[in-house]
Amino acid sequence: MLFNSLSFVVFLVIVLGLYYSKIFNWTGKKRMLLFASYIFYGIWNPPLVILLWISTIVDWITGKKLATEENKRKRVLWLLLSMVVNLGFLTFFKYRDFLLDNFTTVVNTYGYGYQSAPMDIILPMGISFYTFQTMSYTIDMYLKRTERAKTFLDFALYVTFFPQLVAGPIVRAQDLISQFYEEKKATVNQFIWGLFLLTLGLFQKVVMADTMLSATVEKVFGSDKILNFWDAWMGTLAFSGQIFFDFAGYSTCAIGIALMLGIILPDNFKYPYGSLGFSDLWKRWHITLSSWLRDYLYIPLGGNRYGVVRMYSALMITMLLGGLWHGAAWTFIVWGGLHGTYLILERLQRQYIPFKITAWNGMFLAFTTFTCVNITWVFFRAKEFKTAWNMITSMFYLNPDGEKVLASFDILKVGVIIGILFLCHWFMRNTSVEAVSKKIPPIALAVVWALMFFLVAIAQGSGEQFIYFQF
Amino acid sequence: MQLKQTLIIALLLSIISITAWEFFWRSEGVITSLDDNEALWAMQRSRVETATSTEVLLMGSSRVLFDIQLNEWEAETGNRPIQLASVGSSPLPIFHDVVNNTEFNGTILVGVTPGLFFSTTLPKAQPWQWPQSKVDYYKKRTYAQISNHILSLPLQENLAFLSDDQGVDGIKLKELIGKINTGNRVVDPMPPFHEFGKIAIDRNTVMKQITVTDTAYANSVIKVWQFFMKGAASGPPPDKAGTMAFFLKDLKKFEARGGRVILVRCPSSGSLRAGENMGVPRVKFWDDLVNEAKVKSYHFEDYNQLKDLICPEESHLSAKDAKYFTKELVKIMKADGALTNLKTN
Repeated sequence: MLFNSLSFVVFLVIVLGLYYSKIFNWTGKKRMLLFASYIFYGIWNPPLVILLWISTIVDWITGKKLATEENKRKRVLWLLLSMVVNLGFLTFFKYRDFLLDNFTTVVNTYGYGYQSAPMDIILPMGISFYTFQTMSYTIDMYLKRTERAKTFLDFALYVTFFPQLVAGPIVRAQDLISQFYEEKKATVNQFIWGLFLLTLGLFQKVVMADTMLSATVEKVFGSDKILNFWDAWMGTLAFSGQIFFDFAGYSTCAIGIALMLGIILPDNFKYPYGSLGFSDLWKRWHITLSSWLRDYLYIPLGGNRYGVVRMYSALMITMLLGGLWHGAAWTFIVWGGLHGTYLILERLQRQYIPFKITAWNGMFLAFTTFTCVNITWVFFRAKEFKTAWNMITSMFYLNPDGEKVLASFDILKVGVIIGILFLCHWFMRNTSVEAVSKKIPPIALAVVWALMFFLVAIAQGSGEQFIYFQF
Repeated sequence: MQLKQTLIIALLLSIISITAWEFFWRSEGVITSLDDNEALWAMQRSRVETATSTEVLLMGSSRVLFDIQLNEWEAETGNRPIQLASVGSSPLPIFHDVVNNTEFNGTILVGVTPGLFFSTTLPKAQPWQWPQSKVDYYKKRTYAQISNHILSLPLQENLAFLSDDQGVDGIKLKELIGKINTGNRVVDPMPPFHEFGKIAIDRNTVMKQITVTDTAYANSVIKVWQFFMKGAASGPPPDKAGTMAFFLKDLKKFEARGGRVILVRCPSSGSLRAGENMGVPRVKFWDDLVNEAKVKSYHFEDYNQLKDLICPEESHLSAKDAKYFTKELVKIMKADGALTNLKTN
């Protein structure tokens, strides 16, 4: 079920009605939330709920065993079971065709003439998110960093909690399960603020991503021509805006909906396009994934504890796998590789040519970071390397006679939107929507809220899927 | 934060602004309309699963959609047909779907718009891709999509500002922004296109009266047909052999299980008809198809009561003429024994 759909409006009203009615006690409410979460997921493709159940049961049993088992070897085996099941699902459903394609290519390089039939397996929505979330629980249990979930119901709800089930934020067990132990009820202010965040998220998704930017992106990245400098840049900038509004929009909705239930979810975006460098970027973009990769990949790989070479290798491996997490294609791996390279170069710069960031050079640094990030988005969005390469050459003015596919207004529109987005991120980088909203008069906030709602209503999107659902 | 106050003001402003928006568009002449999308088509397609041998399915392009009126058909035969025609489409993918994926063994009326029927069997070509996308949607639609569509219908039927029209008539935010045109950096060669039909929940479609009364409006649509004809003339030639072979194979399979097919060539007029006669002449295309298919077939030119009908925008009949056409066509088919199992009062 999509947040930007009529079914979800009805679903949410029913869930909130039941949640705040006196029909259920707290356990009953949690059961209702769990059941609602399965409906939320299953209405898309009912059989795939079975995967959620398997993942939940395996990780519940694993957690239970790890809580009491002291034998090191057995603990490793229990952890391995969880890893194999979760990563096995991910590999089978997400990476099977990619691995098979590459295997076929390698084998055929040696002249075997092997033919493989892709299985065209359906990718279960949000599988990358919920497998990472459940794995964090078992790894933390193994490392004795978290308590075992008190009841199966609490754990199942942690795995399946509908606001963040299909596209995050990826929440750690200690941050969410413990919230289920005692009855939660949003205060009036929390509830209204949650509703505001839901509107803001829908505005980001429906109006900004789908209505204002997606057509421009499609025109540019869907073109099979070699493009003009301006078209290539504007298409890429439009995508940088689209993916931010799409994904941040989802996270904002998720946080808002959870807040309406009295549950606090962590921030996933903190004005990433105002970042001062790439380390800063990853503390601001998809925060819950980058912290997951840091804690469960980069640090176990050695982090910065074993010298420079090991550190840079760990960094690069983490980013390459981060790229692969986003999609089963080499273009995503290149995207990850570019970010890994940026991070390494930044660390080298800090070591050999350090400089102090001031108000004067800060904006230039943020602009440079944003420009470099845009280069990586080309590989993230392009379906093929050929398209990506054509775009990159056009962006570096190597195709001065490239085709024009965007109208003048498209260029103006994208320029204005992305310009405002960048400035917004720059000026908001040390604050938050909530902090700003406290400073302005209630009527001004109401006007902004009504305007967003009005634009969502007249944009009346056709319920386009969120980009990150495919990851 | 005084959030209660904020919420109340925001709610009031939202209601006022949306109401004003609705009244504004109604004052501009926008009427409530359903979106002829894949979900609406799928609702009709799902009826085929339980359709009996007495029922009739309508397939073809927009001419079948506009020219065959369900009320008149039902009044004449006692059966309300299932409308599966699709604009700008070859009927072959939908016919193929029904023949191969259902057990339906009633009657299928296939509209033959020569430029579309004989165009292609290439999956990525528009006349194939559009109807195929409807078939694919039906096969893959989720419960969420079904419920979203059901919930959207009463809203579409009551709120004009939810109109999903595209192009010059579009009033969705995306369409309004798309109409802003500054400079001539990229020129869109396609003339502006008006939506000239209104579809009901059972996909019964009628031409908007403005197309009949406003010549400039009708001419703007004619310019679009001329644009497409120019494109077709410079594009690949019709694939007569491929399309006929594809159709005849499915026809044979359908007839083997007791199904009946009726071919109908709906009227066209003016420069469009002249273009059709030149590009896809009757003798070479329609007549060959009829000879090969050996099924009941009706060409509007063969009947005095139909041959002089004029299409306001050269390709589809007005609401009034479509009713007349349907009544007369049904009478002809009944007299010819093409329609059997009629329900009588």
